[in-house]
Amino acid sequence: MPKIQEILKGAAAIAKGMSVTIQEMMNPIITDDYPDAPPVFQERYRGLHVLQRDDNGLEKCVACFLCSAACPVQCIYIEAADNTEQERISGGERYAAVYNIDYSRCIFCGYCVEACPTDAITHGHGFELASFNTSTLIYRKEQLLAPLPEGATGKVKLDHPVAVGDGGH
Amino acid sequence: MANMVTLTIDGKPVTVPAGTLVIDAAKQAGIDIPAFCYYEGFSVQAACRMCLVEVEKMPKLQPSCALPAAEGMVVHTETPKVVEARKSTIEFLLTNHPLDCPVCDKGGECELQDMTFRYGLGESQFLEIKHHADEKQWSPLVFYDPARCILCYRCIRVCDEGLGVAALGLSYRGVSAEIIPNKGDHLECDECGWCIDVCPVGALTSGTYRYKSRPWEMNYVPAICTHCSNGCKTTLSVRNGEIIRSNNRDRSGINGEFLCVKGRFGFDFVHNEERLQSPLIRKDGKLEPVSWSEALKFVVSRVRETIERNGKFAVIGSTRTTNEENFYLQKFARQGLRTNNIDHHRSGDVITLVDALAGRTDALATVGDLYTCDAALVLGADLAQQHPLLAYQLRANWRHHRSPVFVVTPGPVREDQYAARSLRAEAGGEVERLEELREELKARQNLVVLYGASVKGEAVRRLVAFGDSLGIPVKYVCLVDYVNSRGAVDMGLLPHLGPGYKPVEIPGMHLDAMMAAPDLDVIWVAGANPLEGGREFASKNAFVIVHELFLTETAQRADVVLPSMSLYEKNGTVTNVCGEVQRTKAGPKVMGTKSDLDILGLLAAQLGFDIGIPSQEKVLDEIRRTVRGYNVPLPVLATGGAAQAAVLNGNVPVDAQPEQVRPSGDTLFTSGTLGKYSKRLAQLMEAPGRLFQP
Ligand code: SF4
Ligand code: SF4
Ligand code: SF4
Ligand code: SF4
Ligand code: SF4
Ligand code: FES
Repeated sequence: MPKIQEILKGAAAIAKGMSVTIQEMMNPIITDDYPDAPPVFQERYRGLHVLQRDDNGLEKCVACFLCSAACPVQCIYIEAADNTEQERISGGERYAAVYNIDYSRCIFCGYCVEACPTDAITHGHGFELASFNTSTLIYRKEQLLAPLPEGATGKVKLDHPVAVGDGGH
Repeated sequence: MANMVTLTIDGKPVTVPAGTLVIDAAKQAGIDIPAFCYYEGFSVQAACRMCLVEVEKMPKLQPSCALPAAEGMVVHTETPKVVEARKSTIEFLLTNHPLDCPVCDKGGECELQDMTFRYGLGESQFLEIKHHADEKQWSPLVFYDPARCILCYRCIRVCDEGLGVAALGLSYRGVSAEIIPNKGDHLECDECGWCIDVCPVGALTSGTYRYKSRPWEMNYVPAICTHCSNGCKTTLSVRNGEIIRSNNRDRSGINGEFLCVKGRFGFDFVHNEERLQSPLIRKDGKLEPVSWSEALKFVVSRVRETIERNGKFAVIGSTRTTNEENFYLQKFARQGLRTNNIDHHRSGDVITLVDALAGRTDALATVGDLYTCDAALVLGADLAQQHPLLAYQLRANWRHHRSPVFVVTPGPVREDQYAARSLRAEAGGEVERLEELREELKARQNLVVLYGASVKGEAVRRLVAFGDSLGIPVKYVCLVDYVNSRGAVDMGLLPHLGPGYKPVEIPGMHLDAMMAAPDLDVIWVAGANPLEGGREFASKNAFVIVHELFLTETAQRADVVLPSMSLYEKNGTVTNVCGEVQRTKAGPKVMGTKSDLDILGLLAAQLGFDIGIPSQEKVLDEIRRTVRGYNVPLPVLATGGAAQAAVLNGNVPVDAQPEQVRPSGDTLFTSGTLGKYSKRLAQLMEAPGRLFQP
């Protein structure tokens, strides 16, 4: 007697399980076909950083070091320099002559993006960072910069020039 | 003791001398009242209204920076009314402030930023477009951004009251008001950069540090300025092994916040591209770079061979190396090379003074004494040019205590501005004029006498006799020129005196004799430039070993050049013009260089000289044990203090050789050979400057 009951119980369990499976087979597929097809990201996905430019193509980063101060793993390294009349790199008075992010340490927490007063650093959607050589994981400014906007040269005259020279001397 | 009053600040009773400002009384009680225009040690401005406090029985809020404490006063510093007032003050200050903190150099150490965080509202009621004025460059070192200026007048006051330069003033009115430099569009001044440091906001910025870094990004190293003998403490800001700023905002050390142009900006020689980074050996008449081991081996073989054939050595020491290095060098010469032919460039007659004051205590003034003494007498020195810190101290003493200063100099000096009497006398004839000052000096409680290189030999003795005849306590300062000139004398870089002024049995040759001797076999120059200005060693065939930072005239004559470190790159102690011993710490490292102590230590080991372990602590320990007067308390050194060495202790029974004393003639903008490698100093329009000029 108990045996028959056990068999029936088992069959019911299997049927229940299979019903979920069969139901799911009817639903549309939600996983990505990566790497055969490009993955789809949520807008807010935190991937490889992008250093943004303004409409004139100037770099938005003014080398304020706030991102590197906010970074919990201290993986951002910056060297600042000032814009001159001859060569203007950023919208502010100073710009980042060197801007490195060490992706062997970055935890993609987004604090740097949060800290940036000029919205210069943002998370892009790049994620294919794997490498057999960790030294390639330090990304330089040139690798992080957004491309120049259509038609912009990235060269603009200063509106308030400061002659960095002799100061009357 | 002055009249004391007791007042209550935030419920705490505080007792202070009558006349103390409430803001200072609060500080004494550990209560910090925010302030912009108030600056300790300078006149009251009461311009910013940030320091308002509530005082019971007074109808309105009071500016605590202008309110003298009174008996029974009850002060509240953080009531809702006060906080409301401060918020409004900040809102006003921010009406035209550009709020460009991300690019502003002051960000992170800005007083306005701090206060905005503490009290500021997140929004402003002012919707008008902000008034803007363009940034200006006043000199290679000073930039001014009027938009950021909050008109606190601090810069004006330090320059005028503190230094007596008065290069800054105010022009225009209302929102257009801005600070204007003395030449309208540019500055001609001491270029000390103190105005930049005291600026509470980023209105004044430094041409050298501008846009380079952020305060939290740097390592801070407590060092002693390597230029003049005043021995100012400076905090080096180091990033990536490079010094990018030098200042002393924490006011530690004998100089407080004071630094002259050399201390604040003259550090760039460290990273000059001409720095030697590899030893050089003369091969076929040309200096060629070689490895350290090859260079040392070469030196060892030549020195050993010279010792074996009883050859003649001469050693010239440095005025910029540490006490430990100087002590070790004289040991190396005396015990290792077995010669007393050792000397250095002497720039003041310390030896005669120490002899003339034998048996006394408390007869040598400290830098602090210059601020507290009742009168000061300056002989034969252009203090503001040659000894900026001492000049500043005397001026502060006059400002705060009305202590008179008397000067006897060959030409006009800045001290004339406020001196009680200024006499002009030929260099060397200063002491003859003293009788004219006798009555005035006698009337003072005590006196500090500072004398330059023109007073030497017998004149020093006559000076001390004059001091004795006044019947008041007199202290002396012998003005020497370089950062460790005094230490070089105390450590026995002298042919006839060992460390602590102990006479040696058989005196060796002094500097002039070494230069003129035709038969020297080895000349060892550890960080000096005796061939400056085209001079030559009479010993044409001598083997010359030079420790240097740069390929100086002397290094060009050398057979071996060993690249050494500057004072900013090593640990050790130095002794300033007043005999105060201070510790300096290593900041950046320049690749390929070694400290003079390391160089001598390595050579001593290879040559088999048994002269002790060449470690800075070990040598300092030996100095403290064996050198007269140098048993300075370690805790004082360790905490960044200055301990005066008690070198007065019995007669110095030798000829002081006053003819060997030669002033370097450096001004505010020059610094011997080292100064030539500071591009920043050279670039100034005020450089090289002149002594005893109006
Ligand atoms: S995402 Fe986080 S860990 Fe990565 S750089 Fe930004 S702050 Fe640093
Ligand atoms: S990315 Fe943004 S936060 Fe980082 S330095 Fe540049 S401006 Fe500052
Ligand atoms: S640099 Fe010194 S001397 Fe020149 S204006 Fe500033 S405080 Fe005055
Ligand atoms: S420049 Fe700086 S120190 Fe001078 S008045 Fe303006 S805010 Fe004050
Ligand atoms: S006064 Fe002398 S020790 Fe002080 S900063 Fe100037 S050069 Fe250096
Ligand atoms: S600090 Fe008192 S008014 Fe400015």
